[in-house]
Amino acid sequence: MTQSFFEWMQGLSFSAWMLEETWASPIIQCMHLVALVAFAGAVLVVDMRLLGRGLIKTSTARLARELDRWMIWSFVALFVTGAPQVLSTALKQYYSPFFWWKMQIIVIGLVFTFTIRRRVAFAEEGTLGHWPKVVGVLSIGIWTSVSVWARLIGLLS
Amino acid sequence: MRSAFEWVDALPSSIALRESLNAYPTLLTTHVVSMCLFAGLIAFWDMRLVGLTLRKVPVSNIPTRLFPWALTGYGINLITGGLLLYSQPMRYYDNFYFWAKMALMAVAGFNMLWFHYATYKSVQAWDQGREIPMSARLAGVVSLALWAGVVVTGRMMAYAGLMPEWWNNLNIGA
Repeated sequence: MTQSFFEWMQGLSFSAWMLEETWASPIIQCMHLVALVAFAGAVLVVDMRLLGRGLIKTSTARLARELDRWMIWSFVALFVTGAPQVLSTALKQYYSPFFWWKMQIIVIGLVFTFTIRRRVAFAEEGTLGHWPKVVGVLSIGIWTSVSVWARLIGLLS
Repeated sequence: MRSAFEWVDALPSSIALRESLNAYPTLLTTHVVSMCLFAGLIAFWDMRLVGLTLRKVPVSNIPTRLFPWALTGYGINLITGGLLLYSQPMRYYDNFYFWAKMALMAVAGFNMLWFHYATYKSVQAWDQGREIPMSARLAGVVSLALWAGVVVTGRMMAYAGLMPEWWNNLNIGA
């Protein structure tokens, strides 16, 4: 079922166009990387604040509120530029364990970011003990592992 | 220049690194992760200067509080990038995007220094306010464009077949 879905994606005319058009993949990959940098920055500034580092003179809630839209829109850009890459190399992705690990961790990361991390970031300062630090470390760990698995899809698959 | 690249290419430690199964994936992955740390934080500093985000954070807070982390990322990025170059110097010698990336990094560094020693000296006057001087905004825009260019040319280095025609005509690799 899953394999046939990936075979269907690989067989789309868009996938063929992506592979045949010389500049399509490089341009999309470059845009993906720029979006990754924006996403990493938006996440890191808040995570570092949760860890008691970085912009400590500004409240975590204010930073999180301001950087939320940057995080969301850069993730949308990551998705929009990532999907064509998956479509055009669907079978390579299907057979890569790193792709599946990446997808699983992205789902965990999204659920974590929009539930626990959001609640902790928007909570009143000093009311949650060590939880902000735990959440900051987990968030950095989750999103770092996503970029590690992503890089390894291209290198080791 | 070419002989220096060839000399490094023939060094036993360069060959050992090149032939190692784990070195390249490890170095490249660390290079990307450290780029996220460095470029991600610098991007938000630049966007603060431009006035796109973090407008309620005093400008001077960012270099003090975020730059040590950004510089740590940059240090790791330089080391891993240097080792990647060391392991395959001849792969990069005639690569247009490699030289474009080096040039963009040099200009971005110069832009940073110029901003630090010229515009930033008067930061106390515009630290808290929303009105950032045009020179600081300009430095932010230029920095954003240059570092985006570094990221893009860095990715394009993998596409040896997509060099500009005029670059190929220079026949540097021959």
